Amino acid sequence: MSLSLPKPMRLPSLILLALVMTLVFGPMIMSADPISISVKDRMALPSWSHWLGQDEFGRDRLARVLYGGRVSLTVAFLASVIACVVGTLFGLIGAYFRGPFEFVTMRLSDVVLCFPPILLALLVVTLFGPGVTTLVAVLSVLYFPAFARIAFSEALRVAALDFVEAARALGAAPRRIVLRTVLPNILGPISVQFSLTAAASITIESGLSFLGLGVVPPAPSWGQMIRGARAFMNQDPTGILVPCAALTLTIWSINFFCDRLRDTLDPKHGESAGKDEIAKARADAAAAAAGPAQILDADVVAQVKDLRLALPRPEGPLALIDGVTLTLRQNECTALVGESGSGKSLTSLALMGLLPSAIRPAGGRILIHRKTGGTVDLATLGERETEDLRGNDVAMIFQEPMTSLNPIHRIGAQMIEAIRAHKAISAEEARARAVELLDLVGIPEAGRRIDSYPHELSGGMRQRVMIAMALSGEPKLMIADEPTTALDVTIQAEIVELLQRLRQEYAAGMSLLFISHNLGIVAEIADQIAVMYAGEVVEQGPAAEVLATPHHPYTRALLDSMPSAHEDLHSSRGDRLAAIAGTPARPEARPSGCAFRDRCPQARPCCAESRPELYPTGTRAARCFFAPGADQPQEREAGA
Amino acid sequence: MTSYVLRRLTTALVMLWVVGTIVFSVLLIVPGDPAELLLTTGGADASTDAVENLRKKMGLDRPVAEQYVSFLADTARFDFGDSLIDGTPISETIALRLPRTLELIAVSMVVALALAIPAGTYAGLNAGKRFDRAASAVNALFTSIPGFVSGTLFIYLFAQVLRILPAGGYVAFAQDPWMHVQMLILPTVTVALHLMTIIFRMTRASVLEMRAHDWVRTGIAKGLRRRQVVRRHILRNALGPVITVVGLQLGILLGSTVLVEFVYNWPGLSGFLVSSVQQRDYPSVRAVILTVAAIFIAINFLVEVAYSLLDPRIRLT
Repeated sequence: MSLSLPKPMRLPSLILLALVMTLVFGPMIMSADPISISVKDRMALPSWSHWLGQDEFGRDRLARVLYGGRVSLTVAFLASVIACVVGTLFGLIGAYFRGPFEFVTMRLSDVVLCFPPILLALLVVTLFGPGVTTLVAVLSVLYFPAFARIAFSEALRVAALDFVEAARALGAAPRRIVLRTVLPNILGPISVQFSLTAAASITIESGLSFLGLGVVPPAPSWGQMIRGARAFMNQDPTGILVPCAALTLTIWSINFFCDRLRDTLDPKHGESAGKDEIAKARADAAAAAAGPAQILDADVVAQVKDLRLALPRPEGPLALIDGVTLTLRQNECTALVGESGSGKSLTSLALMGLLPSAIRPAGGRILIHRKTGGTVDLATLGERETEDLRGNDVAMIFQEPMTSLNPIHRIGAQMIEAIRAHKAISAEEARARAVELLDLVGIPEAGRRIDSYPHELSGGMRQRVMIAMALSGEPKLMIADEPTTALDVTIQAEIVELLQRLRQEYAAGMSLLFISHNLGIVAEIADQIAVMYAGEVVEQGPAAEVLATPHHPYTRALLDSMPSAHEDLHSSRGDRLAAIAGTPARPEARPSGCAFRDRCPQARPCCAESRPELYPTGTRAARCFFAPGADQPQEREAGA
Repeated sequence: MTSYVLRRLTTALVMLWVVGTIVFSVLLIVPGDPAELLLTTGGADASTDAVENLRKKMGLDRPVAEQYVSFLADTARFDFGDSLIDGTPISETIALRLPRTLELIAVSMVVALALAIPAGTYAGLNAGKRFDRAASAVNALFTSIPGFVSGTLFIYLFAQVLRILPAGGYVAFAQDPWMHVQMLILPTVTVALHLMTIIFRMTRASVLEMRAHDWVRTGIAKGLRRRQVVRRHILRNALGPVITVVGLQLGILLGSTVLVEFVYNWPGLSGFLVSSVQQRDYPSVRAVILTVAAIFIAINFLVEVAYSLLDPRIRLT
């Protein structure tokens, strides 16, 4: 049975199963009686006939622990089952009928949540007196609202899912929908709640028994055993240690099971190996040993040289960026173009020293010309120096203006902290500067808007704030990672216009690295283009030339798939947009030879045999055997 | 902001009323005669005289509507009636004992926050690393130890074996400050340990969630120092969920300290509550529960207001 379980569930299931089996079958196979008293053997040490010794009345302790556990488990299990069934029903009815049912379900749990559980239990015990039945009743009442609430919200969530809508549209009966689709889907959260409830029930049951208000003697219970042994713990410490250990072990194994179950059902709940930039940056020893940074040409702001990035895996590193070289010049806009997954964003993050910690630099260097003069190699910088460089020499705006600003700080505060990170000025001066910048990026009533929270601004406005913030350090290089993708088309144009205007009027000489998959926007803004595919630059050159006469089949395919390139042809010929066949090569399934060959209409056998280089012709270059200036592998050509 | 606070305040007052009504109506829902029920012990029926007497004492002989109105009016004046056992006014007993319980909870809360928030933050920032794995495992173990178990074990260890701390009891601060503090240590550690497991877990999860947000990357891209990013763009955001949980826990704590107080003989509300339950002194039990629920609702109201100060988006809902 455990073989079919997901791996993380095996150990906790096994422990829990062993525990339950011991408590259920243990008492059956042992002969000792948990309630027979033998005063002459009070607090006897462990012996052959009494493995855990005898308690303050000479009763066999092992028998009491096993029987007591049985009582605890029974109470917890019964209460959880009742709470689960009743609560789930309540929740489903509330979710199905809504209206007053919904109100009752939700408010009921609010009210029950107001009473600390053990107090509510005590209230009921006062009225009915202690005992197992009272316990089960109280615990079920305590915990059924939690089930109701979960079933309710999960059912609503599931009911809104596409496939349930589909089932409804197909005419499935409501009852069928609930049984067939909703119920299996809410089973996960309900079973997590079930184990939580079981653990909590055992805690409360033992607590009440400890107070003498739970299980009634002489029936054994762990809480009661601790209560009894407490008075004698000085002479007989095993008396408290044994039931304490049993109780803790039981609760721990249920919790353990529950944690693993939750992680299995909802992987998001577990570890996220996502963005890790905040983990401490480590100086890269290999890169540091690579020698002094070269001096860049006077008009070069930054240069990426033969950059290689890899993801370490047990079977060997996986190349994500494979020898990318980019030269970013003053007063120039370089567009980095490609489909998602081509490595454009990784390249730009590398320029900021913002790579996720899982990704290792495997070679190459990133040289940056600092404002203070001098050229640095990013990989050799320490944490402090990198922080000084970010936002100051190189600034970045991101794709998602909705999430790139911290929702709990006013935009003014977020701008001021950016300004003061690089300039030793007072808060008032920084604020005045922030207003100035907001005004510059076209935010109306900047003096008032500076005190807004991000959620009070539209997406376009937020992107303007991001741009203003990026400008605040007066950087020599601004990286814009798909800055318009998340925005409406009309707003897109405004943002592009703003970036253009800023480059011309305000930040004269600033270099812009513009990352996009939208060739229409690129055509408007870019001076230079670098097209990326599968972690490589496949074509680069002056924007106008590359867009007019692409040399690489991939660039051509990108242009063909773009509506605006067809504008003149469209209506007359009823021409259709060409889609690029296939999907972008994933790093782990990169074809041999040319990475694009399996999607390329011009591919020949020679393309599979060796990797084309980036063949230069004048100001341009393309990574294709059939590009002008390429030395085609002649002998193989002949063989084909 | 004011309208948000007013709305929350209204909700809190409505909750108070609902809770009061429920506590009142428990006696009506109970099958049979409550007075008889309260006097029944172990199947032995009570004498008719005693039942009649108790009915009169608790006002059960009056019409339900009248009982309800006077119950609400008395409760609003903090008049919970007299104890069935010794006839002392219940509110006086509560006024005497409640501060001791609150002291225990407040000190434990401060200790727990001071330790668990930094630990949880560090674990969250270094998730999957050695400290995080060790701390999470220890946390899972302590989560599984009920307060009365750790309390009992602490007494055995520190009072019986090591003999460095008193096993329990209480001395007023004014009477002997040093002894008071000594007696406070073990109960505080016991309650704080339980709280810490919850705060640690929540802080860690919240930090883990917040650090993956885009604005953290923005903060780094601006060139802020690592510590600034952690403080302003991770921790500040993570605190909202944490204080909500702390608020909820404070309420639950008011209940679960019952066991800890009992273990250490700390004369807070719990001793009174437990003996009242044992002697089936219903008015006293009801009064304690109402007090605790009221404090709980008040705490949650404060938490909601604090949360809205931390996160402006909350005020919109």
